Amino acid sequence: MPMGHTATAQAGSGGLTATEHRLANGLRVVLSEDHLTPVAAVCLWYDVGSRHEVKGRTGLAHLFEHLMFQGSHQVHGNGHFELVQGAGGSLNGTTSFERTNYFETMPAHQVELALWLEADRMGSLLAALDEQSMENQRDVVKNERRQRYDNVPYGTAFEKLTALAYPEGHPYHHTPIGSMADLDAATLEDARNFFRTYYAPNNAVIAVVGDIDPEQTLAWIEKYFGSIPTHDGKQPPRDGALPDTMGGQLREVVEEDVPARALMAAYRLPHDGTRESDAADLALTVLGGGESSRLHNRLVRRDQTAVAAGFGLLRLAGAPSLGWLDVKTSAGVEVPDIEAAVDEELARFAEEGPTEEEMERAQAQLEREWLDRLGTVAGRADELCRYAVLFGDPQLALTAVDRVLDITAEEVKAVAAATLRPDNRAVLVYEPTGAPEAGNEEEEAGQ
Amino acid sequence: MTDAVVTMEFHPQPAAGTATPWAFPAPERGTLANGLTVLRCHRPGQQVVAVEIFLAAPLDAEPEGLDGVATIMARALTEGTDKHSAEEFAAELERCGATIDAHADHPGVRVSLEVPVSRLPKALSLLAEALRAPAFADSEVERLVRNRLDEIPHEQANPSRRAAKQLSKELFPASARMSRPRQGTEETVAAIDAAAVRAFYEAYVRPATTVTVVVGDLSGTDLDAILADTLGDWTGNTAEPRPMPPITADDTGRVVIVDRPGAVQTQLLIGRIGADRHDRVWPAQVLGTYCLGGTLTSRLDRVLREEKGYTYGVRAFGQVLRSGPDGGAAMLAISGSVDTPHTGPALDDLWKVLRTLAAEGLTDAERETAVQNLVGVAPLKYETAAAVAGTLADQVEQHLPDDYQAQLYAQLAETGTVEATAAVVNAFPADRLVTVLVGDAAQIEEPVRALGIGEVTVVPS
Repeated sequence: MPMGHTATAQAGSGGLTATEHRLANGLRVVLSEDHLTPVAAVCLWYDVGSRHEVKGRTGLAHLFEHLMFQGSHQVHGNGHFELVQGAGGSLNGTTSFERTNYFETMPAHQVELALWLEADRMGSLLAALDEQSMENQRDVVKNERRQRYDNVPYGTAFEKLTALAYPEGHPYHHTPIGSMADLDAATLEDARNFFRTYYAPNNAVIAVVGDIDPEQTLAWIEKYFGSIPTHDGKQPPRDGALPDTMGGQLREVVEEDVPARALMAAYRLPHDGTRESDAADLALTVLGGGESSRLHNRLVRRDQTAVAAGFGLLRLAGAPSLGWLDVKTSAGVEVPDIEAAVDEELARFAEEGPTEEEMERAQAQLEREWLDRLGTVAGRADELCRYAVLFGDPQLALTAVDRVLDITAEEVKAVAAATLRPDNRAVLVYEPTGAPEAGNEEEEAGQ
Repeated sequence: MTDAVVTMEFHPQPAAGTATPWAFPAPERGTLANGLTVLRCHRPGQQVVAVEIFLAAPLDAEPEGLDGVATIMARALTEGTDKHSAEEFAAELERCGATIDAHADHPGVRVSLEVPVSRLPKALSLLAEALRAPAFADSEVERLVRNRLDEIPHEQANPSRRAAKQLSKELFPASARMSRPRQGTEETVAAIDAAAVRAFYEAYVRPATTVTVVVGDLSGTDLDAILADTLGDWTGNTAEPRPMPPITADDTGRVVIVDRPGAVQTQLLIGRIGADRHDRVWPAQVLGTYCLGGTLTSRLDRVLREEKGYTYGVRAFGQVLRSGPDGGAAMLAISGSVDTPHTGPALDDLWKVLRTLAAEGLTDAERETAVQNLVGVAPLKYETAAAVAGTLADQVEQHLPDDYQAQLYAQLAETGTVEATAAVVNAFPADRLVTVLVGDAAQIEEPVRALGIGEVTVVPS
């Protein structure tokens, strides 16, 4: 197989390059050399996430991700973990709305082992998957849900906001962790079907980044993955299209035993991969990123009504992205006071746009975040996979920072005016009860 | 079993290639004219530079009744200087694409800066300003105090934070600073004002007792010139090192339940104190602790997670509290959370794991895998400048030589199964562990009592 084209080093990519290849069975391959440290990352993205799940089976993509570590034809029990860690590597997998990823970061001389392991489970997981691992990992995932969401204050806030922001029946209405009832209902046959449908070489991208010999690496990938058959049973996910804005304010009040009142909100924002989404990222950074942001200065420094205030961005490609406002109030402060201040700041920002200095600060912050992401082989491999899977072009990862730096203050103002409005948000208000048992009726969100 | 199995071509597990030698980077140590110690380390390709500052302002130096003053001082350093208001300072810093975090812990205050190398001069100049001439304005200190008071209920509500607080209270004598929350209580924080913050700063912050670690791609950077223009401008007198108080703890086996009616899980924190890095047993203790609970294929998770499904994961670890040539200790602990109905069975299994380990020891295969992992992951773990800077600063804080980490890897590789077994069994004796459970006492108290792992008391949340 001939080597693919080599991209020229792009400005802002720090001289990083990547090559692209495709095996006959459809597996896409991205390779990026970097010999500074004797390590290499192997990262696989399968184009399947919680948006592909059907009603009654929320959480299946994530539960399945756990099953991928329970052995395959040639790998017994926890062998995947044991072999990688025994080789001095680190590994994990994660599931989100739009994809499932698996990654091993290895000392460079152990890359072939990671490729062999990933190929074995891509091609032969069902040889090992049994009722015992299914039951065990179902319990583990339910405990993951309890630990990360159900047993911590505000733990289910994101799930509730998502359920409000994406309507019933929308593929992003529920979060990847799924509901307890659906986790209980999943069967071994569901898991097998999930594998047969989505875990195909033609539904995946593999990136290998670091201290590698690209020709040798590609030859190994061909050797281990090349004979895994293509299969085409995958149905496209349900359509995630929604109007650009919500056209009204949605609201839910949660009464729970939390330590303080909170105001949270999800704003509907442009899809990832557009100039408008980079502009939105800058807008949220100016408004609610870091300690010089407008909301921090207003609520935490000047009004002193909040213990913390900020914005986060959930970038999504298959549905509108989500800007997540999170304000925890100071003792004795009422939510309407916070809300009025937030609305005032957002309206002022939409009116005026960012100052020149705010643009400089926000762009500098996002640039550093990109340098951090691309500064490790694992981060780079993950970003190459992301752009390959979601946007069809891994090279876009290497120029992402340039695109953020190319956005103008006018574009930031425009996206703020269009989206950061009260009629384009879902609001979640927490009112503490001080009692342990309240609020259970609210747990239905996300199913 | 299915058609998917037989259609691919299988190959034998590949052998490893030839390893490229890697060593933990050796820093270059120097001293500025003002007495400030500088450790620097060039890491090619790391465009985000990490700067770690260690200030010899330990928590035990906080005046009586003012627990948390070190924390408020650490936070106040970046809330205004002689040249910038608090808002201006934050804005200037973020304009560099930089972040600064400051926190106080038992050995002293750590200030961490990360910044793209092109903006290092400006960011270091801001950092120097924060250290040399903090404003400590009344209004800013009052705001930080109120903000800190608002944070405390959030920490109380978090099961793992609540467990950590209770364990410290149980282990250490009430007179010891370590028995009390690092960042103070409602009562002590409320008593802190700008005068107290300034007094603490004047007593314990000066260049002669400060160490700065700079790590990153420094190839195009004249670090000496930048340091001379920034931290080099800071002046101050010298001070005798403050003696470290001895650390003692009561590890009589017992159980404290912090009652959380309705909790769906029980947070476990099971611990005591033990050897730190100055003790020769440390490498063996690291190795043995990894075999006990370092990862999901270690002994604890093999049973509690991968066999029984009681937990998302339980970890054993050793974390140095404070350490010097004349004393010190590490917190040795097991932590995780288990679902409420299985709290009794999970603890029963956990103790069985400990007793089996003591009775039968580790296997050579376990020891081998642990060494391969702990030593093998070093180049991955230290890929970023921040990771290298953090470890170098830890060494400084614990009075260890600059090549400590490099030597540790050599020692781990030479540590045998017998030594690792002895170390971990000594570190986690089944009858000398204090168990804190944050969970629903009505459901877990009786099953836990039945285990016989020590007297059980219940305290309110």
